[in-house]
Order: sequence, then C-alpha cells, then structure tokens
Amino acid sequence: MPPVAEELAARVGWLIRLRWLAVVGVVCFLEISRRVFSLQLALQPLYLTITALAAYNLILTVIFRRLRHGQRDRAVRTPGRITRLLLAEPSADFAPPAEAFTAALFASVQIAIDLLFLALLLHFSGGIENPFILFFVFHVIVASILLSRLATFLCATLGLILVSAVAFSELYGILPHYPLHDALQAGAHGDPTVVAVELFVLASTLYLSAYLGSAIAGHLWKLAEKARLFEAAYQRASESERAKSQYMRKVAHELRGPVGTIQTELKVVLQGLAGNIPASLRELVARAEQRAGEVAQVTLDLLMLSRAREAPLEVEMMEVDPAELAAEVVRRLSGAAERAGVTLLPSIPRRLGTFRADPDGIRELLGNLLGNAIRYTPRGGRVEVRLAKREDGVHLEVEDTGIGIPRKELPRVFDEFYRASNAREVSAEGTGLGLAIVKAVAEQHGGRVTIDSDPGRGTLVVVDLPLELVRAKRI
Amino acid sequence: MSAQRKILIVEDDKDLVAALQIVLNEHGFEVVAAHDAPGGLAKAEAERPDLIVLDVMMPEATEGFHFVWTLRLREDEYFRSVPIIVISAIHQRTELRFYPESADGTYQAGEFLPVQGFIDKPVDPAELVREVQRQLGLAQGDER
Repeated sequence: MPPVAEELAARVGWLIRLRWLAVVGVVCFLEISRRVFSLQLALQPLYLTITALAAYNLILTVIFRRLRHGQRDRAVRTPGRITRLLLAEPSADFAPPAEAFTAALFASVQIAIDLLFLALLLHFSGGIENPFILFFVFHVIVASILLSRLATFLCATLGLILVSAVAFSELYGILPHYPLHDALQAGAHGDPTVVAVELFVLASTLYLSAYLGSAIAGHLWKLAEKARLFEAAYQRASESERAKSQYMRKVAHELRGPVGTIQTELKVVLQGLAGNIPASLRELVARAEQRAGEVAQVTLDLLMLSRAREAPLEVEMMEVDPAELAAEVVRRLSGAAERAGVTLLPSIPRRLGTFRADPDGIRELLGNLLGNAIRYTPRGGRVEVRLAKREDGVHLEVEDTGIGIPRKELPRVFDEFYRASNAREVSAEGTGLGLAIVKAVAEQHGGRVTIDSDPGRGTLVVVDLPLELVRAKRI
Repeated sequence: MSAQRKILIVEDDKDLVAALQIVLNEHGFEVVAAHDAPGGLAKAEAERPDLIVLDVMMPEATEGFHFVWTLRLREDEYFRSVPIIVISAIHQRTELRFYPESADGTYQAGEFLPVQGFIDKPVDPAELVREVQRQLGLAQGDER
C-alpha cells in the first residue's frame, strides 16, 4: 500500500479504537452520573444508543479488516475528484492512490454517523442543557486530522445542524425533552434566547476548531509530503549511482580483453619469441608493456569497485576466517615489503572464527591497505597489521611509519582516482582507486573505515566490519 | 625424435591466437585454431590435437565450460583424456568460481572442471610454454 494510503488506513483504525474508548467512557459517565451525582437520566434510550454504537463499531472493525486485506491484492483504481476533496492533502497536483480514496470515504462516513450518535446521546441527556455539547468539537478535530479542510468544515456544519435540530425540536415540542438535572440550566431548552446563544457559542467553537485543526494538519501533511519527496530523491540518487557503477563495470569489462591481448603481444616481442629486436626498441616495448599493465590494473580496480558497490545482492557471501585471509595477504606482500626495506609486523591471531563475508572483497581491502602502507613507507620503516575479534564483528588496524597524508587532503582520499599530493611525488604507481575500493568493500559489509594521518610520521587506517559470526574459533 | 606435437587453441580473440601461435611455433609446436566452441569441437575431432588451450569467455558467454563438458562426456577415450589448459581472467575478482583455492592463495585445477591447467589472462607467453611442456611431459627444449 502506498505511504499516504497506509497512513490514512492507520488513522481510520485509530478512529475505530477511539470509538471503543467513547463507548466505555459513556457507560462510565452514565454510571457515575447515576450513582455518584444521582442524576435522573433516561437510561433506557441512552443505553440503547450506546449499544447501537458498540454494534456499529463492531461491524466497522470487521469491514476495516476486510478492506485492509482486500487492498493488498486488488488492482489499483483510479482515484477521482471526490478523493481529492476528502483527503487532507495540500498539493493540488497530488494524485492520491485508490486505497486512499477508500480510507478517506470510510473515515468521512464514520465521522458523519458518529455525529448522529452524539446528537442522539445529547438529546437523551438534556439537549443543549448538557455541558457535554462541547464534545462535538472533538469530532471536528478528528476530521481535521483525517480529512481535507472542506470535509472538516462540512463536519462542523453537520454537527451544528444536528445540534440545532435537537435544540429546535425540543424548543418547539416536536421531540420530548429529557432533563439532566434541575440545577443544570433547567428549562434552558425552552428559552429561545438561551438556545440561540448556545448555538452561536457552539457554532463559533466548531468553526474555529475546524480552522485551527485543518491548519495544523495541513502543515503536518506538507511536512510529510516533503519527507516523501526527499525519500524519492534519495531513491533516484541511489539508482543513478547504481547505473553509474554498472556502466563503469561494462566499460572496464570491455577494455579488459583488448588490454590483456596487448600485454601478451608485447610480452611475445619482449621475450624475443618473435625474433630479436634492437635494445632501443626493446626498451620502448618494455615501457609500453608496463603502461598496458597500468591500464589493466585500472580496469581490474574498476571492476572490483563496481562489484563492491553493486553488492550485497550480487555478491555471494561465504564463510571465511578473516585471520586466514589476512595471513594470506601478508604472505603475498612480504616480498614487496622486503624489497622496499619495510618491516611488516602482523599481529594476527592464528584463527579468529568463521564469519560471513565476501572473501575476494576482504582480500582486496587488506591488499590495498597493506600495499599502500608498504608503498608509502620509506626504507627502514615499519607497517603493523592488527586484526582482532570484537563483540560486533572484526576490527582491523593498519598502521605505518610512512609519509602520511596532508591533513586537508584526508577527506578526499576515499574519492575515486584521488591521490594525495605527496603520494604522487613518491610513486608513479597507484590508480587512486585503492582506498575507494577499501571503503566500498567495508560499506558493502555494513562496516566503516576511518583514517588518521600525521604527515611525515605515518598513517593509521581503522576498519570495523560488523560481520556475522558463523562459528567461533576452535580451541 | 617424436612427431611434432599439435596444439589446438580455442579462443575468440584472433590477435591473441596469432600471438600465441607465434610463441608455440617458435617452440616447435604445430598450432591449429578455432574461434568458438562448436568450431573448437569440430577441430578437435578432425585434428586430434595433443593438447587444447581453451578460453572460457567466448561470444556465447561461458562457451569454454560447455566445450569442456561436451568433450569429456564423449565415449572416445581420446576426448576424455586430451589435456586442456584453460586461459581465463574470469576467476580474477568475479563471483564465478570453478575450482577451489588452496590455502596459500594459488589456484588448483581439476576439482570442479575436468581440465589439467589454468593460466591467468593476460597470458604470459613463457608461462604458457612451461605449462604446455609440463602437460605434455616434455623437458625444456624437448618439444619435438
């Protein structure tokens, strides 16, 4: 069910619950009046009315439940002008859903019938002499919350007509008068001036309530509409982000084949398999092969990035031990660390337990963080990798004694293709996609990444992954 | 000296076929090629190669897998046992897994797909030659 109709349906349900409260309230009032205040009320017609009200509400409860169930599978009906008139909806171009029509009509009819019951109760309990005459205001307020401004004013008018009908019928002896108590405006029902003043006070109260109530409700509906628009805009933004990612993936995929072939062809030349070539030409081909490798790396990184962003639906989660993955990545990069003269200090437990995660994504995340740390740490420095289990998942820290990241550039390091200014000076390598992948993979797993850096002293990256623990580690 | 070994390359990228052909010819192998799975099956039947180098992703998506199973399910013992080396990039960072990973991060062939070897794309010519020689039980420089 669309949100507007859902909201209205909920409020109609509320109206039904409110009516049960009214039934109980009236019964309590009658009993208290009788036993505590010794009022001589016409109990028979009053109880008859209240029984009818209870029976009516029971029927409504059944109808309401049927409507709600029925709407779930019924085809959408085109809403008409009446819906727009009845609905408390501020925007003129709003097309209310068919379900809203049913709910609004249902509410309008109910409020009209409620007014009729209230008029009957009023008639049997002293007419305009009864101070509870002001209860008509509550119906107007309920109408202002559920229905349009026009419907609210119609409700006020209907209430006024009904009270007037009771008052004038009793004044001119068309209907009998049921006195409430001698001390409570006894005989007022027969005084045309009192009747006129009472009705005037009631009319102004009802219309003022209608005005204030619908003004407040209108404001609230506008806010709700705004929230709905924001929601829709957010949906559109997510969809376009997804479309962008898919496009990125397609482009990367298309580039991958040809680039791979270029790499192989150049290697054939470099390995002298297509005949010997002069050293100068060889140097040129070697550079071309290296550049082709860079393009291949960008396509691979783009594929990884798009895959992480389009998940979790498309990625098959598996049961993995992050400690094993981390150890594997550390092993893989230990050669690079050694060549760079950087000490790799892993603090990884042998087993952490089995978690539900995407192993390729986690490997990429670890590989990028460690790769960066090694690449941007000068000879003699060290890179620490700490992995631990936390109550809500897995906690990873990668800390280096590297060149660091200028503070003002920190917020941008997770952007695609962004490379910090000092990183560009130190190394020509790097696609600028590594940290974007780290962030995408972390978010894909519902986690987050924070980075803190002291330029010239080092960088600390913290990743928290709220992974689902499948099996705790064996002891 | 045995007869020249024949290798069938099934790969839709004709430039890659040409490059691999240069490499394999240079090492003394005879090369025949096909550019899709049906063509590959026909060539396998007609030429009876000593080894097949197979790409996975061809015009009709994962034709390579289909090729392997079609070949291996045939009655003829030759088709069941001819060594196949798969060249592919699809295991890299995709959800398609056709063989398990061993603990040291390398890839092992054969468990899910009845083939003898895997080589990552982009193909390193030297690696291909090594793998072909290994599968054919040849020492380096012992192709013929």
